[in-house]
Amino acid sequence: MHEVSLAESIAAALLQMQEEHRWKSVVEVRLRIGALRQVFPDILSFAFNTVTRSTALEGARLVVEDVPLSFRCRDCGTSWQEETVLCPSCGSIHRETVAGMELDIESVEVEE
Amino acid sequence: MSKIVTLQQSIMAEDEKFAASIREANRKRGLLMVNIIGSPGCGKTTLLERTAKESGLSFAVIEGDLATNRDAERLDVLGIPVVQVNTHGGCHLEANVVEKAMETLPLDSLDILFVENVGNLVCPAEFDLGEDFKAAVLSAPEGADKPLKYPYLFSSSKIVLLTKTDLLPYLPFDMKMFTDDVKSLNPEAPVLYLNGLTGEGFGGWTDFLKDRIKEKKADAR
Ligand SMILES: [Zn+2]
Repeated sequence: MHEVSLAESIAAALLQMQEEHRWKSVVEVRLRIGALRQVFPDILSFAFNTVTRSTALEGARLVVEDVPLSFRCRDCGTSWQEETVLCPSCGSIHRETVAGMELDIESVEVEE
Repeated sequence: MSKIVTLQQSIMAEDEKFAASIREANRKRGLLMVNIIGSPGCGKTTLLERTAKESGLSFAVIEGDLATNRDAERLDVLGIPVVQVNTHGGCHLEANVVEKAMETLPLDSLDILFVENVGNLVCPAEFDLGEDFKAAVLSAPEGADKPLKYPYLFSSSKIVLLTKTDLLPYLPFDMKMFTDDVKSLNPEAPVLYLNGLTGEGFGGWTDFLKDRIKEKKADAR
């Protein structure tokens, strides 16, 4: 149930921004979440609705965009998506994960 | 009037500010910080006790615990400085709490600061504490299928430790599946096999730590 921790962090970040920018309300929050993070959007939305109840964020919708895994070879620069340990083009083990770790607030729709 | 505001910021942005401040302070000090993450009962405290015996390194521990201070007492009797942080049911430690706990430790005279995170394979992996690296700890009785069930922890750790290896002869633990799965998630992380009762395998672990300490001290200024 890490969705609860995540919902709390999202709510804390947004409440702070809302206060700074004096938004009247937050209508929608768009997130980008990498495949490796194993976030269930429905559970996250449920947790977010719960932690924002009776706060200035009450009623804000969460929209989650899934970001698929993607790798890059540090030796030859090849990029690929399927889960393989070795670089499909040069066989190197020096693989870095370039997408799939995201945990980002992309944008918010607000009423001013 | 409604409008769209682009933010493109990490969900953890607030925590990451504290983490960055810890990381910078430790860089100046040349102090290595290691975040130990594993399930309840996987042997994190035993790992630290044995590391103290085998390595001769001077370290302190920030102990994240849901409610008790039993783990802290076990380390205290060994003369290891330990600060206990009760999360009161919270499933992970956060960097602002860790930064406060650090104030009470003799940081300038240490080789390593360990954080023994709350027992949990999910949330602790997501919160950056400003550590140099995470060490994922799995005990043999938990089963070889765990890396794929908790892929973020195993792919974001710099080293993977399998503990309680003395029990392997009595368990249906598929070693090949375990090592293959860890490799598929994290090709470069070493996987070490540790027996906390006898100290078997600890040489590899303490060597790994000593190499990282050397790098860290060389970079300090
Ligand atoms: Zn390559």
